[in-house]
Formats: sequence, C-alpha cells, structure tokens
Amino acid sequence: MKKQAKVIDVSARAESESSFTKGVLGPLVGMGLTINRMVDNLTGKVNATIRYPEERRAYSDRYRGAHILTAREDGSPRCVACYMCATACPADCIYIEPAEHPDPLIEKYPARFDIDMLRCVFCGFCVDACPEEAIIMSRESELCAFTREETMWDIKRLMQRPELPEFGLGYRPNQTLVDSTVKFTPKEKEKKKLAGRVTLKEDVEMIIHVTFDPTKD
Amino acid sequence: MPKFTLNGQEVEAKPGQTIIQAAADHGMEIPHYCYHPDLPIDGNCRMCLVEVEKMPKLTPACTTLVNDGMVVRSENERVKEAVRGVLEFLLINHPVDCPVCDQAGECRLQDYYMVYGLHTSEIPLGMKVRKRKVIDLGPMVVLDQERCVLCSRCIRFFEYVTETGEMQFFGRGDHVAIGTFEDRPLDNPYSGNVVDICPVGALTSRDFRFKCRVWFLHATDSVCGGCSTGCTVRIDHRDGTIFRLLPRRNVEVNRSWLCDEGRLSFHKLSDGERITRPLVKGRDGVQAPVTWEEAARSIDSRLKEIRDTNGAASILGFASPSATNEALFLFKRYLDGLGATQFDFRLDSEDKKLADEEDQILRHFDKHPNSMGAIKLGLMSEQVGGIEGAINAARAGRLKAGVVIYFKPLVERPGDAEAEGRVLALLDELEYSVLLTSHKADWQDSASVVLPVAAWSEEEGTYTNFEGRVQLAGKAIEVEGNALPVWEVFAMLLHASGAESPWMSAEDVFATMADSVSVFSGITLDQTRLPGVVVG
Repeated sequence: MKKQAKVIDVSARAESESSFTKGVLGPLVGMGLTINRMVDNLTGKVNATIRYPEERRAYSDRYRGAHILTAREDGSPRCVACYMCATACPADCIYIEPAEHPDPLIEKYPARFDIDMLRCVFCGFCVDACPEEAIIMSRESELCAFTREETMWDIKRLMQRPELPEFGLGYRPNQTLVDSTVKFTPKEKEKKKLAGRVTLKEDVEMIIHVTFDPTKD
Repeated sequence: MPKFTLNGQEVEAKPGQTIIQAAADHGMEIPHYCYHPDLPIDGNCRMCLVEVEKMPKLTPACTTLVNDGMVVRSENERVKEAVRGVLEFLLINHPVDCPVCDQAGECRLQDYYMVYGLHTSEIPLGMKVRKRKVIDLGPMVVLDQERCVLCSRCIRFFEYVTETGEMQFFGRGDHVAIGTFEDRPLDNPYSGNVVDICPVGALTSRDFRFKCRVWFLHATDSVCGGCSTGCTVRIDHRDGTIFRLLPRRNVEVNRSWLCDEGRLSFHKLSDGERITRPLVKGRDGVQAPVTWEEAARSIDSRLKEIRDTNGAASILGFASPSATNEALFLFKRYLDGLGATQFDFRLDSEDKKLADEEDQILRHFDKHPNSMGAIKLGLMSEQVGGIEGAINAARAGRLKAGVVIYFKPLVERPGDAEAEGRVLALLDELEYSVLLTSHKADWQDSASVVLPVAAWSEEEGTYTNFEGRVQLAGKAIEVEGNALPVWEVFAMLLHASGAESPWMSAEDVFATMADSVSVFSGITLDQTRLPGVVVG
C-alpha cells in the first residue's frame, strides 16, 4: 500500500516560526549568553587563549619541529653521512659533506651537515630515512631569525640545543629506543645556559638491525 | 649451434657457451658474484644455481656448458630457495654497514637481497666474525675485508689480466679474507679495475671515496681522452662536476678495463683556470675580451689580409690530436676555404707513437685520443714536418699566420712541458696567431687571438682511435663561461668568411663529414656507438 504523503501547511509554519518567542526572545537569550561569556572572560573565569610565549600549549609527542642531530657517548655526531636523509628530503634542504673518520668502525662522519630551515617543510622524511637514529625532531617551533644566514643550521647548531629541555623531543619513530637511551648533557645547570644534547647509549647498534627488520617494515 | 630451453623459451647459444653467458645474450640475468664475462670462470659463489632437467642437483650456470636440448629453469621455487640460502650464507658475516659503504646503490648484495633474500638475519651483529676494515691498498683501492663475499674476481683479475698476482685469500673457514701480502699497496697501473669488478663494497675507490652517493650521479657514455686506445668509458657526473670514470664494456677495445691514468684523467680538467671569453690583442699589444662575433670577424679579415699579401701558403693550420673529428673537419674546411695548404698536428711524434703499446693490456704511448682522426682527415704533411718544421718555416718567414688548437694532454708524460714550449715558440714566431685552447696559461700572451673552447667531456663528438675505430663521446658537463666547442668556432668562422655554415650540432657536422670525407663515407652516428666502427 502506498503511503500517504504528509501535507505541510507552509503558511502555518511560517507563522509559528516568526512567533514572538523566536523573533524576540531568541536573540535576547543569545545576547545573555554572550554577555555571560564576556563577564566570564573579563573576570578571568574562562580563558580561551593562552599567554604565548609565557605560556605554551603541550604539543603532541610526534610534533615535527626543528631537527636534532643526536650524539654518541663521546659527544661526536651519530650521523655517518649516508645521505639517506638528503635523498629522502623532498625540499632538498639538507647539505652534507662527508669526511673520513679515524676510527675504522665508524669510518665516515659529516664534516658539514647543514639544514636550510627556510626550505625545510618539516615532513619528517629525514627522520624516517635515518638508519642510525642520528636525526630526530624536537618540538621546537620558534625558528625566527634576523638574517637568512641564521636559518642555515649547521651541525653544531643542530647538535647543541640549549632550548631543548623547554620544548622536548618531537617526532622519533623509534620512540621507545630513543627515550630509553636519551640523555641530556650537562644534566642540570642554570636554566638559561643549558647546553642540551641528546645522547644515545652505545648498545643501540644492535637495535638498529631490529629497526630494519624487513618483515616488520 | 646448440639450442636449449631456458624458462620455457627456446634459446640458441653459441658453441662453448655456458648457461649464464647464453642467458645474458638473451637479456636474462642469472644472479652471480664470481662470474665475470672477461675473467676466467671460477664457480665459487654458488649464486647462479639453476635447475637443469635430468640433473640430480642444481648446477651452477656459470660453469655448465650449454648442450643441445637442455632444459634449464632459473626462476622456479626450487632455484629461488637455493639462491636465498646461498645469499643468507654470504650475508652471515656481512657487517651491514651500507650507510657508510660507497658501494651502496650499486651493490649486488643489496640488489639480490631485495629480489631473493628479504630474510631476517639470524646472526646478531655481536656474533659476526669481525675482520679488518679500511685497509689502504695503494693509490686507488681501499679494502674492507668484512664486506667481501670471497668471489675472487679481484684475485683472478690480477692473476690473469695484469698477471701480477698481488691479491690472494688468507686464512681458513669463516676467517678467510682477501688481501695483499703484508698489505703491500697495489701499485700496478690497472689496480682501479678491481673496484669496478668487486660486486660488493669490499674494494672501493680511494679517489671516489665518500665524494658522492652513486644514486645522485648521472651517466654519460663517452670515450676516454687519455690516450690513443680510446677506451669506452662512462662519465658519472652531478651538477656539472665529474665524479668518476668507469669503463663501459667494449669487447673490441678495452673489454671491461680501464687504466688508472685514464680513470683519473678527468681531474686534469678542473686543474687550472679556464679561459671564459675570446681575447683579441689590440694595437697596444694587450689581449682584451671581445664578443665571439667580433673575434670571428677580426680573425677572418686578418687571415684574408695575410693571404692576399703573402699568399695562401703562408697560413698554417696546426690542429690538436685531442680535438674531435668534427672539430678537425671544420678546422680543415675553413682553412681550405682560405686556400691554406700547410697543415699539421704533431707536437711530438704522435704519428709514430700512435700504435706503440705502452703495455700489453690497454695503454698506448700516444696520449691523444684522436691522432688517427687527424691523420685520416689529412692534417699531417711532410711538407710542414711537425711543429719543429713549422717553427723553422715561421722563423724563415715562409709562414706568417697560424690557427693553432692546443689541449693539454689529460694523461701527463715527461715531455709535455717541452711540447707546450714548442707551441709557445710557434706562436712567438708567427706574425699573426689564433690559439684555440681551454685552459689558461702564461704563454698564451703571445697569441694574437685566444679563443676559449670546450675541453673533453664538454662537447659531443667522435674520436678515432689508433686502429681507426670511430667512437662517439657524449657531452657530460656544460662548458665554462663563453667557451664554445671547437667545431662551433669554425662553423662561426666559416659563416664570417661568407661560406655556407648550416650545422646546428656536432651530429650535423658528422653527417657532412661522412658525406664529404672519403675515409668516413658511409658511416652513421649510430654505428659509432658501442662498439664503434673501424674506418679504412
């Protein structure tokens, strides 16, 4: 059986919608809400914004901020200048110059490692590509500078991160590994002069192979 | 001709060919480490195992001769399983240090792992047998014993190709390592080849070490400019910088080899300052930069003036055996147009050294890639008698003007400075001289006009080697400054002199040359690619 269509009297509906309640009371209620919020805001009861930069929001653990070059136990870079990051980089912002390391077990190290922070798109591909956990990201997002030269971060700038304790580590695919071995040196000093540096313990070597387990990739 | 079935496909093999060779001829690569087409067969790596019907076990394809009616399978599960097993064994003690290894990107271990392996290593790094790393083996080679798969290609190379036998296996069991006795340096002139033939990163190049990752490089097919052998090479370059030269396999010329001098010859190009603009000597006797058009007009009018006052026989054309055939052809055509009859190219006794072998493998004494081309194009005359004759004639006043092309040889020999001195002497004696060269030098002040030209690898062109084989060399990098290829300079001069000059590329010049020079008649540019074509 065909269902009877419901007939709506449009004129009656229009009348009801333009009733006194909706036409006059509605806006008044709304206005009341707005004024209430205003009072709350003015009195400091509710605060939608934060006082940046004195206050900051907590970013995600996977936030992709400025890069960090991690160090070995002795403070030299973990990086072996394999160019994986530079190869993966879609913005072509990584410049590496390799050199011969005196230790045959390390063999190769970056004499230069520059990241052009203005070119970088913070995609995190370099971190994904790195086979040595040598490059990870921080949650640091304040990268302004007065000159273009300052936005070219060299290896020293990428390794020594005094501002790191303030922001914390960002994107690092091997989070458990990095976090279990991460070490800031020197540990505690005056807050302003912290020369923070992430250090991975030497037993990381074994774990790198786990990272590259093709069955898990 | 034995016929056999390879993976269900009827394939014909040459008599005496092994399965791997016959398969390679038909574009099918059977995985291998120890087999190399230009080395004796060893059969030790076991990577090329294939299934042959009616044989009880898998058999190595590199040692098994093709028989008529053989049925070979190289792609079924049984073979793949075996290859995977072999690869796993080879990788047991491999340090997996691909990030620091220069071979990464062109490593057979990586390639085959991605095809056949993809297994998880059961051996943790701490349990692997450690061997020595970064062993300095002379000027060309760095050895890493850990990465070696013990294929013995390097050992066989030194044993059978150079016959010097420097390398050998040392040790037993899984402690076997390759090396030289007491780490003595590999100082024979072909040692760089072991780097190419090493399928893994055990032997890497000292010169190329850490310079560039191989996947960034672009390859251009070329011909070595180091001597009259004309080995076919591949130029690997990036952003206008040449990083390395590798031999291209050419059975007719160099097989898979290249001498160390040739391999390093490209460094000579970046050695010394380049001339970037045409220079013309003014009335004050100082060379001043001019545009190409001005230079071409002034050269043409001056040469014609000298011809009209002193006769065409007073104009000398002195070519360089390092220039391409196309360059020499247009050089001759331009001077012929002026009526000049005096041609030569010999700074030394290139024509005699041309076919003289420096050793039994590749090298020839003549360190110019195109002496034969110059001879074939008629640029050698007893009338002039080499540069000595030209200097004497100029001193006697018989020669007034000269167009001289000079390139510094890419491979140095003791007599080079004297040869350069003779060019200077010639320029000094000539009343009016036009010098085409690529690199700056003090003595070039003597020339009336200096024209900057493209050096080897900066222009396309053909070279004729000692046996008359014409081979095409591609353009790898851009010319510096306003320099032009030599052929283009003469095309411009021909245009300035009012002659026809229809060439837009070296290819066009080659076509004209093939049409008008009887020696080169009938050959096409395609023929000059691998393996090249021998002209009469």
